[in-house]
Amino acid sequence: MTNHWIDIGNSDCIMIIGSNAAENHPLSFKWVMRAMDKGAKLIHVDPRFTRTSSKANIYAPLRSGSDIAFIGALIRYIIENKLYHEEYVREYTDGAFLVDSKFDFNDGLFSGFVAAKPTYDKKKGGWNYQMDAEGNPKLDKSLQDPRCVLQLMKKHYAQYTPEKMSEVTGMPKEKFLEIAKCFCATGKAGKAATIMYAMGTTQHTYGSQNVRSYAVLQLLLGNIGVAGGGINALRGESNVQGSTDYALLFHILPGYLKTPRANNASLKAYHDKWTPKAMGGDKSANWWQHTPKYMVSFLKAYWGDHATKANEFDYHYLPKLDENTNYSHIALFEAMHEGDVKGLFLMGQNPAVGGPNARKERKALEELDWMVAADLWMTDTMEFWKRPEADPKKIKTEVFALPAAGSVEKEGSIVNSGRWMQWRYKAAEPPGVARTDSWMLGQIFTKLREEYKKGGVFPDPIVNLSWNYGGGEEPDVHLVAKECNGYAMDSYTHKDTVVKKGQQIPSFAWLKDDGTTCSGNWLYCGSYTEKGNMAARRVREDAPNNIGLFPQWAWCWPVNRRIIYNRASVDLTGKPWNSEKPVVRWDAGKKKWIGDVPDGGWAPGTKFAFIMLPSGHARLFGDPLKDGPFPTHYEPVESPVRNALYSQQTNPVIKMWAGAMDELGDASKFPIIGTTYRVVEHWQAGQMTRNLTWLSELMPDMFIELSHELADEKGIKNGDRVRVTSARGGISAYAVVTHRFKPFKMNGHVKHQIGIPWHWGYSGIAVGDSANILTPHVGDANTMIPEYKAFLCDVEKEA
Amino acid sequence: MADNAFLYDGSLCIACRSCQVACKQWNYLPGEKTKFFAKAGGYQNPSDLSSITWCIVRFYEIMKDDEVEWLFRRNHCFHCTDAACIKACPVEPVKAMTRHPKFGTVFVNQDLCIACGACEEYCPFGVPHVDENLVKARKCTACYDRVANGLLPACATTCPTKAIRYGTMDEILAIASARTKVLQKEGFKPVMYGKKQLGGLHSMLLLPEKLDYYTDLPANPKISRDLGSLEQPTKAMPSMSLGVASLGLAVVAIEKLRQRRNSLMTKKLEEVESD
Repeated sequence: MTNHWIDIGNSDCIMIIGSNAAENHPLSFKWVMRAMDKGAKLIHVDPRFTRTSSKANIYAPLRSGSDIAFIGALIRYIIENKLYHEEYVREYTDGAFLVDSKFDFNDGLFSGFVAAKPTYDKKKGGWNYQMDAEGNPKLDKSLQDPRCVLQLMKKHYAQYTPEKMSEVTGMPKEKFLEIAKCFCATGKAGKAATIMYAMGTTQHTYGSQNVRSYAVLQLLLGNIGVAGGGINALRGESNVQGSTDYALLFHILPGYLKTPRANNASLKAYHDKWTPKAMGGDKSANWWQHTPKYMVSFLKAYWGDHATKANEFDYHYLPKLDENTNYSHIALFEAMHEGDVKGLFLMGQNPAVGGPNARKERKALEELDWMVAADLWMTDTMEFWKRPEADPKKIKTEVFALPAAGSVEKEGSIVNSGRWMQWRYKAAEPPGVARTDSWMLGQIFTKLREEYKKGGVFPDPIVNLSWNYGGGEEPDVHLVAKECNGYAMDSYTHKDTVVKKGQQIPSFAWLKDDGTTCSGNWLYCGSYTEKGNMAARRVREDAPNNIGLFPQWAWCWPVNRRIIYNRASVDLTGKPWNSEKPVVRWDAGKKKWIGDVPDGGWAPGTKFAFIMLPSGHARLFGDPLKDGPFPTHYEPVESPVRNALYSQQTNPVIKMWAGAMDELGDASKFPIIGTTYRVVEHWQAGQMTRNLTWLSELMPDMFIELSHELADEKGIKNGDRVRVTSARGGISAYAVVTHRFKPFKMNGHVKHQIGIPWHWGYSGIAVGDSANILTPHVGDANTMIPEYKAFLCDVEKEA
Repeated sequence: MADNAFLYDGSLCIACRSCQVACKQWNYLPGEKTKFFAKAGGYQNPSDLSSITWCIVRFYEIMKDDEVEWLFRRNHCFHCTDAACIKACPVEPVKAMTRHPKFGTVFVNQDLCIACGACEEYCPFGVPHVDENLVKARKCTACYDRVANGLLPACATTCPTKAIRYGTMDEILAIASARTKVLQKEGFKPVMYGKKQLGGLHSMLLLPEKLDYYTDLPANPKISRDLGSLEQPTKAMPSMSLGVASLGLAVVAIEKLRQRRNSLMTKKLEEVESD
């Protein structure tokens, strides 16, 4: 989240899209209702009328996978009607930047496309700003130059008329205009709209671009950095934000440092490659210029005193990514299916139910020599060898099930969607022999190190690893948290203040690139200081600006800043756009900022607002993405319609897998759009809820939802057993025939969509077929998140 | 009497059903073995209140001006003023079905209950149920055990949107009237249910749509004429040990109920002996 949960209550207009917040984040509705009490409007855009829609002022249906056609039409509406926040766009975004003359877009393809790979050659395609002689971007602050980002954007979305939008999305034009009027009114200074989104946005082959389209929309309206604004990802688990911050994904190290690539052959090469150069002179804070300090402090946290300048701080111990290899979930299971992966560790993960193309992923598990899986209950994945399709006699995989402690059975921190790190205490002993994850990892590490001390291939990284977490069987979580924050490895002086060896570092501005400091995650520097454990704070007192920041409740990254990009919440003199809900305000007399922790303490106007970007300006032109600087409508890999906007049907640069069991279906055989989702009664792949009687009682059986129109066509009645099939397989379920699904009418075509909750599997109390039997093994061009949300299927009444 | 009351505000409820689970958790009620319940569109379960389910959320999918709406209703004991269950309870001199002297809500004194089933028979809302294992009538207690210790009832505590409120009758009526005004301003025609019904309910509903849509909610619940007029509120807390059931309540088909109770007791005894 750019903002945080409480801040939703400050909004004037809330758009929930790609999310069923009432069901999957019920507590968020405490704040949604708080805003509505004060007169805010709630808009819900979703293929299906849900419990969220039931509370909305405006509900608008949208065919799964057509978000960008809808958001693009909003962007067009804003530009055509000049509803954007002009000063904000001019001063805080790259709207005025001129783009390279080579950059172009034609019929769904950007310039620089290399069909053979397929990929974009960004340099060739001119995906960059025009630079002047000093190396600064050329600007047209009148926003009129046809090569400026705003004008290029206007051109890009010219086709996205309300009529075209309706033809692509199936959303009635009148509904669109109702939303446009309501949402885009927040382009006025002093008004704020927020976007709440979740997996309905991201789980597409252009999921990153879906999110970007929201960012563009919010930047045009000046809704980033302000109270009640932002784009707010509703994280699917209590600590997903924390796990992302700590690099659960393959492309990053903790604190969003880049994972070294094979060709970053030295620490210097790494720094040169990943430390951005500022654009626009001294006014660009270009915060990532500090990358070397964070990287070296990270290496010091790993290898302690062994990491020295002479050995490049043990940089060579880090595994390097092969530039051409994909290490995402789908790629790993493809490799496993081919027999290339021999062992698998799973902690709190149940891919036999949660992974896409589940039949293939379950089959892939048979290729493993061993699997170690830690969870609260026996999961479908642990029991894959006795699944309905399997013959246990033919499966060689050895499965080790480790009973794990639950979240309330251990001490530590979780980080919520609003980036708050909150300390939790142990409330009960784990049952039986269940142990915490850190106990398991600590034990495995210690035993592994003993083995490596005897020899082996490249033992150094393990043998030399710094492991200073106390002498107990279980790592001391306070020592772990202190190391994540970072401490001085040697005494040093920072701006006239002496930091003694062993002292906790107060903030990441104090980290060094010469090995004097360690910090396991620079973003968390400030969370556990000499003042103590900041995450354990529980002061129920708001900040003077009284917008619900509660700065002494827990701790939030970065540097306890509750609303990020908050320099954009004020004008160039430091005066808040919204005087009633100021996030920060410049006190000219005292020469300091009042309110939230500002994005840097510099006086207003002396630094650009978006301090994390090299240009200091938020990107309407998103050149770092692989699939284009402007979000563009493509169809899902499996779609029943042609792309009504371009002859390019799908995202041109996604990776397609063509192994066994990777079949794709077409609309002649599978004419219906399928989408998966969760219900409030169950959680994720179900291992934590389908094993509890109270929750199994609420939702005992697998079901699908379909419209009356489709049900009539197929002779299906409410409560019937139905069979849903896709190119990957088939499942059985109960049918819920409902008015909450309606066929999509698009330019005369009628397309049906059905909804399929994905919690069920064959293990536990509440069992049923898994929705992911149906979903394809394709993922987003940038992140590889699977396309769970739009695929082709068919449904028939079960004989 | 400064009674307490619940308010359920359907315009705030997101049907997350956490009230249903919190109720089970606080009251140590087991989960029911349920099956997909098509009639309520697959979302409601269990299909009705029972001796081990004291709170459920009901779903109503309706079409209004060609647009779909989804309405919800939390269903638990209404804690009526004119409480059929108390009148029907044959235990004397202190009734097992009793009104809390301080809070005004209705609960079953488990020590006194003889599981005759009269409350189950006479409740116009189908709330109390005799538990065949415990051989006691069971229903929502309004969490008097929590309230007496300064806590809100479990359902009101867990509700994320404050759709379930609990407080003194005055507080609850004030909240309801404020919310009614907000809803009217937004163009709703909210219905307040429970002010008049059965002498006034201690669990009132503020519903965003007209009562007709809530098909299983009786607009004018009546109690059997057999039970007479408004009861006199019980003032004293029962402190007696189990009394003998009075046969004085001639209007109750007491013989039938006794038979049921006896058969339950016999079944229970057989179970104990076979253990």
